[in-house]
Amino acid sequence: MKSLTIRNLSKTYFDLYAGTNHTAIHDVSLEVAEGDFVAVVGPSGCGKSTILNMIAGFIPLSGGEILVGGRPVKGPGPDRGVVFQSFALFPWKTVLENVAFGPKMRGVGKAEREAIAREYLALAKLTEAANRYPNELSGGMQQRVGVVRALANNPDVLLMDEPFASVDAQTRMTLQEELTRIWQEKRPTVLFITHDVGEAVFLANRVVVLSKGRVLDDIGIDLPRPRSWDALNEDADFKALSNRVLQLVRSA
Amino acid sequence: MRSRQRFLSGLLFLLPFAVLLVLWAVLVPWFDVNPRLFPRLSAVAEAGVESVRDGTLVGHIGASLLRVLVGTVLALVVAVPLGIAMGVSPVVSIFLTPLFRFFSVLAGIAWIPIATLWFGYGFGAITFVIFNAVFFIVTYNTLLGVSTIPPAVRNAAASLGAGRWAMLTEVLLPGALPNIVTGIRTGLGFAWRGLIAAEMIATNVGLGYMLFVARDFYRTEVIVLGMIVIGVLWLLLDRLLLAPLERATIERWGMVQRA
Repeated sequence: MKSLTIRNLSKTYFDLYAGTNHTAIHDVSLEVAEGDFVAVVGPSGCGKSTILNMIAGFIPLSGGEILVGGRPVKGPGPDRGVVFQSFALFPWKTVLENVAFGPKMRGVGKAEREAIAREYLALAKLTEAANRYPNELSGGMQQRVGVVRALANNPDVLLMDEPFASVDAQTRMTLQEELTRIWQEKRPTVLFITHDVGEAVFLANRVVVLSKGRVLDDIGIDLPRPRSWDALNEDADFKALSNRVLQLVRSA
Repeated sequence: MRSRQRFLSGLLFLLPFAVLLVLWAVLVPWFDVNPRLFPRLSAVAEAGVESVRDGTLVGHIGASLLRVLVGTVLALVVAVPLGIAMGVSPVVSIFLTPLFRFFSVLAGIAWIPIATLWFGYGFGAITFVIFNAVFFIVTYNTLLGVSTIPPAVRNAAASLGAGRWAMLTEVLLPGALPNIVTGIRTGLGFAWRGLIAAEMIATNVGLGYMLFVARDFYRTEVIVLGMIVIGVLWLLLDRLLLAPLERATIERWGMVQRA
């Protein structure tokens, strides 16, 4: 695991319909320390997914730089694991093969990479599903596979793009609790994108509020871990922090 | 339970044919139909036994199947890589899609005149017709298959460390496979029809030729025998080879409703 540094990042699109340049990201700087968990929250269209796509290397930057462990990144790479809102599993591979994909790309032998995959599947309570295909699983289980597929490749930074936005509310709460548990166990460096304020406060050590392509505020979340919804739902500190972030997002 | 269901559905499939055979066996002698217009069932059966015994039927079937095999394999070898290469680039795919759609629906038989001019009568011309019937449809379907792979899935592979070769073999090819298999199934259907037509015109061996020559001697029992063989062969090919292949990929992976 390594740190993630974003310096003076900007992104400008040419808007085909308006015929003008549109700046989606203005001069964003952000530091995620090694082993830290930072959530970026903001209304739709604030540019949070654009930032993640640039960090992942899916789209080019217009300005600034992105460093992982102090080294600039260029294009997609296994140093940055990504968890997608749409899960993006390989439908033609079993759950085990999906999770073993990253190690396979690194040239890890079949027996060893399957052992790695099984270890991570156990971490997400997916051992039973190893030989099933993604379409045979519920959305919640598919995204568990998505999370451990990224983790099993041992990335320096884990990028999560609204990963729980397309599962039902109960499943989402379970997945959030499991993610905090897995994070405490493996301590990956995480950048988590969401529009859900409660989710951001529940999961992260720091919540960055983004508005119109600019960082509005950066709030430390000093809630004790392990975190669970049963404990935090009625917790005064959790409510106060959530309200504070919500006010910022609404003012944005 | 499952095997019982399959047995029943097989029985239901065969039942109408059995009724048809019975009607044929009864009605044709009853009305004393001129054998030059339509043969009796017994005559077709005798012709079948005879042509198996003297080896002519096997020779015709072998010639026809070989042409289909060679034409199809050649078409796949060219079509799949081409379709993937085209599908990877949105610009190329948008530009070429209309052309491949046009040639996909152009009947295979329409190629026969030009095929005989280019290759003369025989194996080359007929294989060319098969090649075209399979090539355009499979290329088009491969292209379609690649372009329907969600960008997030390709991004996921890239961020897990997949290089160009792994992207091709682990993502693009399997991702397009359901479409490719559907293309092969449709293309072979067209190829089979085109084959029979081409063999009537451009060769001296094969099932189509067998039908066409029998007509010159008023051997309706051979014509009908040939028609039955053509139909049965296609059903066997489609039901035992192509349909299971399609099911294995599409249903297993749940990629039917993928858009």
